[in-house]
Amino acid sequence: MQSWRRKALWLALLASWLLVLLRVFPLLRLAVPARPWAGAPQGWPRWLDAELLQSFSQAGELPEDDPQPPQVPRGGGHCDWGACFNVSKCRGGGLKVFVSPVAGPISDTQRGILASIESSSYHSVSPDEACLLLLLLGPEAPAGECSPVPQQWNGGKNQLVLSLHPALCPQTFPPGQAMVAKASPAVDTFRPGFDVALPLLPEAHPLRGGAPGQLRQHSPHPGVPLLALAEERGGWRVAGADSPACPWDGRCEQNRGPEQTPLGATLPNATFCVIPGHRPEALHFLQALQAGCIPVLLSPRWELPFSEVIDWTKAAIVADKRLPFQVLAALQEMPPTRVLALRQQTQFLWDAYFSSVEKVIHTTLEIIQDRIFGASAHPSLLWNSPPGALLALPTFSTSPSDFPFYHLQRGSRPVGRFSALIWVGAPGQPPLKLIQAVAGSQHCAQILVLWSSEKPLPPRWPKTTVPLTVLAGQRKVSDRFFPHRAISTDAILSLDAHSSLTTSEVDFAFAVWQSFPERMVGFLTWSHFWDEAQGGWGYTAERTNEFSMVLTSAAFYHRYYHTLFTHSLPKFLRTLADEAPTCVDVLMNFLVAAVTKLPPIKVPYGKQHPEARPPLAPGASEQQPPAQDCINQMAEEFGYMPLVSSRLRLDPVLFKDPVSVLRKKYRSLEKP
Amino acid sequence: MCASVKYNIRGPALIPRMKTKHRIYYITLFSIVLLGLIATGMFQFWPHSIESSSDWNVEKRSVRDVPVVRLPADSPIPERGDLSCRMHTCFDVYRCGFNPKNKIKVYIYSLKKYVDDFGVPVSNTISREYNELLMAISDSDYYTDDINRACLFVPSIDVLNQNTLRIKETAQALAQLSRWDRGTNHLLFNMLPGGPPDYNTALDVPRDRALLAGGGFSTWTYRQGYDVSIPVYSPLSAEVDLPEKGPGPRRYFLLSSQMAVHPEYREDLEAIQAKHGESVLVLDKCTNLSEGVLSVRKRCREHQVYDYPQVLQEATFCVVLRGARLGQAVLSDVLRAGCVPVVIADSYILPFSEVLDWKRASVVVPEEKMSDVYSILQSIPQRQIEEMQRQARWFWEAYFQSIKAIALATLQIINDRIYPYAALSYEEWNDPPTVKWGSVSNPLFLPLIPPQSQGFTAIVLTYDRVESLFRVITEVSKVPSLSKLLVVWNNQNKNPPEDSLWPKIRVPLKVVRTAENKLSNRFFPYDEIETEAVLAIDDDIIMLTSDELQFGYEVWREFPDRLVGYPGRLHLWDHEMSKWKYESEWTNEVSMVLTGAAFYHKYFNYLYTYKMPGDIKNWVDAHMNCEDIAMNFLVANVTGKAVIKVTPRKKFKCPECTAIDGLSLDQTHMVERSECINKFASVFGTMPLKVVEHRADPVLYKDDFPEKLKSFPNIGSL
Repeated sequence: MQSWRRKALWLALLASWLLVLLRVFPLLRLAVPARPWAGAPQGWPRWLDAELLQSFSQAGELPEDDPQPPQVPRGGGHCDWGACFNVSKCRGGGLKVFVSPVAGPISDTQRGILASIESSSYHSVSPDEACLLLLLLGPEAPAGECSPVPQQWNGGKNQLVLSLHPALCPQTFPPGQAMVAKASPAVDTFRPGFDVALPLLPEAHPLRGGAPGQLRQHSPHPGVPLLALAEERGGWRVAGADSPACPWDGRCEQNRGPEQTPLGATLPNATFCVIPGHRPEALHFLQALQAGCIPVLLSPRWELPFSEVIDWTKAAIVADKRLPFQVLAALQEMPPTRVLALRQQTQFLWDAYFSSVEKVIHTTLEIIQDRIFGASAHPSLLWNSPPGALLALPTFSTSPSDFPFYHLQRGSRPVGRFSALIWVGAPGQPPLKLIQAVAGSQHCAQILVLWSSEKPLPPRWPKTTVPLTVLAGQRKVSDRFFPHRAISTDAILSLDAHSSLTTSEVDFAFAVWQSFPERMVGFLTWSHFWDEAQGGWGYTAERTNEFSMVLTSAAFYHRYYHTLFTHSLPKFLRTLADEAPTCVDVLMNFLVAAVTKLPPIKVPYGKQHPEARPPLAPGASEQQPPAQDCINQMAEEFGYMPLVSSRLRLDPVLFKDPVSVLRKKYRSLEKP
Repeated sequence: MCASVKYNIRGPALIPRMKTKHRIYYITLFSIVLLGLIATGMFQFWPHSIESSSDWNVEKRSVRDVPVVRLPADSPIPERGDLSCRMHTCFDVYRCGFNPKNKIKVYIYSLKKYVDDFGVPVSNTISREYNELLMAISDSDYYTDDINRACLFVPSIDVLNQNTLRIKETAQALAQLSRWDRGTNHLLFNMLPGGPPDYNTALDVPRDRALLAGGGFSTWTYRQGYDVSIPVYSPLSAEVDLPEKGPGPRRYFLLSSQMAVHPEYREDLEAIQAKHGESVLVLDKCTNLSEGVLSVRKRCREHQVYDYPQVLQEATFCVVLRGARLGQAVLSDVLRAGCVPVVIADSYILPFSEVLDWKRASVVVPEEKMSDVYSILQSIPQRQIEEMQRQARWFWEAYFQSIKAIALATLQIINDRIYPYAALSYEEWNDPPTVKWGSVSNPLFLPLIPPQSQGFTAIVLTYDRVESLFRVITEVSKVPSLSKLLVVWNNQNKNPPEDSLWPKIRVPLKVVRTAENKLSNRFFPYDEIETEAVLAIDDDIIMLTSDELQFGYEVWREFPDRLVGYPGRLHLWDHEMSKWKYESEWTNEVSMVLTGAAFYHKYFNYLYTYKMPGDIKNWVDAHMNCEDIAMNFLVANVTGKAVIKVTPRKKFKCPECTAIDGLSLDQTHMVERSECINKFASVFGTMPLKVVEHRADPVLYKDDFPEKLKSFPNIGSL
């Protein structure tokens, strides 16, 4: 009995041992490093004699290479920039373009392009001084006159053959050494770094200005469909995010949902726009871009527009059409941060380079000019972030930190001083009080007086703590926005001789400008409005609840805008401003608003009484500035109304608060 | 007694009073079982350790012992390279379909020695560099030893230098690889292509569809988007120790250090030197070196001897001239010295040009323009030169320094093509670490003023103050641009009031119940938020007027990437304590706004919930404080911009509430808030908050102007 019990005890003990051991073994097995297992990667062996191996290049070979005589440029089908373009013709002044006369009738678009080039800084009147000859090919050419080899062809050297729309007739003369700029060129024939890939524009693309991007909010609206698929004839089909059963290779045409949009429907409303890779679909690409729908290109056989300078990975996704499910999964799982960035980039690119024919042409020429400039071309950052390369001139600087737009990306700050630029017009009175007030600011680096009066220069100037320089002006109003060499700081305080400011006002405005270096910060404001009665734009100096312009008779802005004003505005506009002096304020505000797409900033101005208000400009009446018309002419020349209204004013933190004046830093701003 | 003695003598308590016979029986049984178990254990472990040890023996082999493969003279030769190959035509992407984490899998063929019919080797088995390269791949995340799972195949046949191999036989060796299949998805590395006399710019070995990572491609041979242009590795990178030299003006403006320069080019260079004197140095090989001096490491000018590559550090610009081959190892030395390369080699595809922006680190001059080099370089401003010097050095460190760097950059480029949605960005490839640290990429960079019609969603966080909550709801609903009201009910012990009790308002009202009483619930990106603008508002903020809130929304529209709030606060550096201090006094500056009532973009809710650095989110929930400071830090850090304080409003609570007993409470509050700032600053690793001196008021605020004509006449004070 006892032994039976003992036996049972022992058996139980053994059984538990067994159990424990069996449990422990697998654990032990896991604890053993994976290396001894047959299935684990063995990797490349560590050779015993690895140290003794010979180098791939014998001592004599590197860098001792057989010298080779200079190469003869190879022509023909193989052309690259170095071999087929003669840069020496472009020395000095950058790119000069001569437009070769076109045989036969020219279309409206072509006429528009010609006009746009003529008013630009690239234009040259004679083929001899030009370094690039431009040949415009139109789609409308009748079949017989398809491709006359133009005069001055010269094998195509330094020629650019530009065709915005795919030609009806196949090109019969070989491009040879000419660069070809055409819409969505096939990858196989495209010569990278030499040809230019253009976007495939719809027939009715606006010549200038152009439709703005459709994006109204940064992030996708909740509930917006994930995908829109490009359809055969210009439409879009919305695909549900949850039904990936039907990928885009056309295998399930029959079960199209009722969501199909009508043919020719304008713009897709989805987060991603899937575009198949064959050529005609290139038109969808621009539609998606404008709509802020992130293009997903499936193995495109055509070169993306302006791929030489535009980093498309920031705005589009080029995916392999052979992996539909994987791509779909990647799109579904894309983090919101990336979606947000891609969406915004589509809009920026659309607005900067694609929204009008003029922009497309100018971008093309700018790319060629960049090749000529070499080291002093646009850095990539300037092409790929707002406001875009057409508005950031490399002739100003190639260092992004010198511009007002890239301080965040570069981790830099604008220089902490400003230059006061005082324009002295007709009356010719030296603004002594103003000079003293401005020189009193600790941030003032220099005072420049631009003497544009007929009166002789006064012999004596007040003694100031900062250097004072007098520049002889040209008596043109636009001269005040000339990039004078003497301006040494990022910030300019633009002043009229009549302006009256206190040191405190200057200090505060400058502190505000440092937070917004890309905008204009001013004291006196105007606002624009749409005048139904007149059917045009108008503007007023009356005090209203909003404003869209600040007067340059007292405003801080970045010195880069002088360069932009002088070198990028069409000459016509500058002449207009010279003829009607108040227009110059409007024009400067147009320019800055077109670049920033933001309103200017207003800061408080002590002198509120109308009688103490400085005259706006010579001859201007108080309530109604004259030359209402110039705002309409400018809007027409820009192609749209760039001005943006603001409803706020930036005041010092304790402005007019009922606390002790001693606490306030800018207390004199509040004096009545 | 007896029993106890027995017990004491006969051992353990587990086998008390047992007969010897039985004991032996049990012990035997026990040992058998134990032995059996041990045997099982051995069986489980033993075979593998045997295998692994034999494996180790195999790995410690000599290169000379690798298996020999005899190639019959008539074995197949691949087609010549197909110039029209692109990723979507010649690359079999299906092989890469099932790889997790968007990483390609690379297989390396094992090393063989190839001989022809007569037993003559086809090439050197493997060079030091190629061995290093394969080792780097095998040590990387890309490697797989499972040939069936691989997406990319790297032959172990060394073709780095075309001159050391027999072209036809090497091609035959490639063709007999087990997965060759016309070279699909095979990657060859070659640094010295071509041979005398005409020096082709790509490897002459017929390779069909195989991808080529080649040094010295020209535009004629490079298949854009298919091949990868790689640098020619400079052995000096490993041999010589060259400490980094910062950018700045150097002794020579322009230096030419290459030895094998064609006489015509040398003439041009000499002419430049004659014209510009001291600032140009043209070096040549040394003719009169004593025995034993490594000629590779010396350069001469007349009788002056210079150390190479050290002399490169004395120059601002260094000429990299085409030799017989376009790719020159000197490029690597030049970059390393922080000298800006002046590349004079027409049609040369610079290394990794698919991803690297060479404009930032080099100057490319057409061969025709050689005589103008000096004036071209002089037109570059000093600041740009210094940036280029920094960039050049960074390129070397990141992509030229070692064979490993070259191999991994090549694989990354191919990886980026196959998984474009996971590709590295331009900035990740090109920006040196210092720039990456200092720069901010604003997530809302597009200058876009959202339409007023969109309106905003008000989010009220509440616990149980129903009465005050209802007042807030009623007040906020008067704001014209309100489009939805969301109440976050943070009390799990109590149900929200019944539907009928809620105030009737003109916009949809939605109650969200939370699972836990956490402060971070207020910043959760609820699906119910349909507008971009969010107004976070506490359930006791009843003093803000409708005009004030509407104006706040208008201000947010002009600054959609910022926090727009009412009372402002400031952080200050306490010099005595050497730490940050929270300040709510009457200051002329602000760096934070309270989120008791603040407008911001809903994207920041996503960031707060999912991307908050470190443990800040949990820390805030645990301390039940400072969620607003955390939000201020987050937004300032990601946008690099300051907050916007709106209107004079100074505090939310009524002024008379701060009685004397509240003073001490106030002080502990300040201490806690200061602690938060210090804690967050240490987690962020920096102080992201920006200090400004302005606030936003309506255009005509306190102007001498009829009140009834103002858009926002009813702006409260303090």
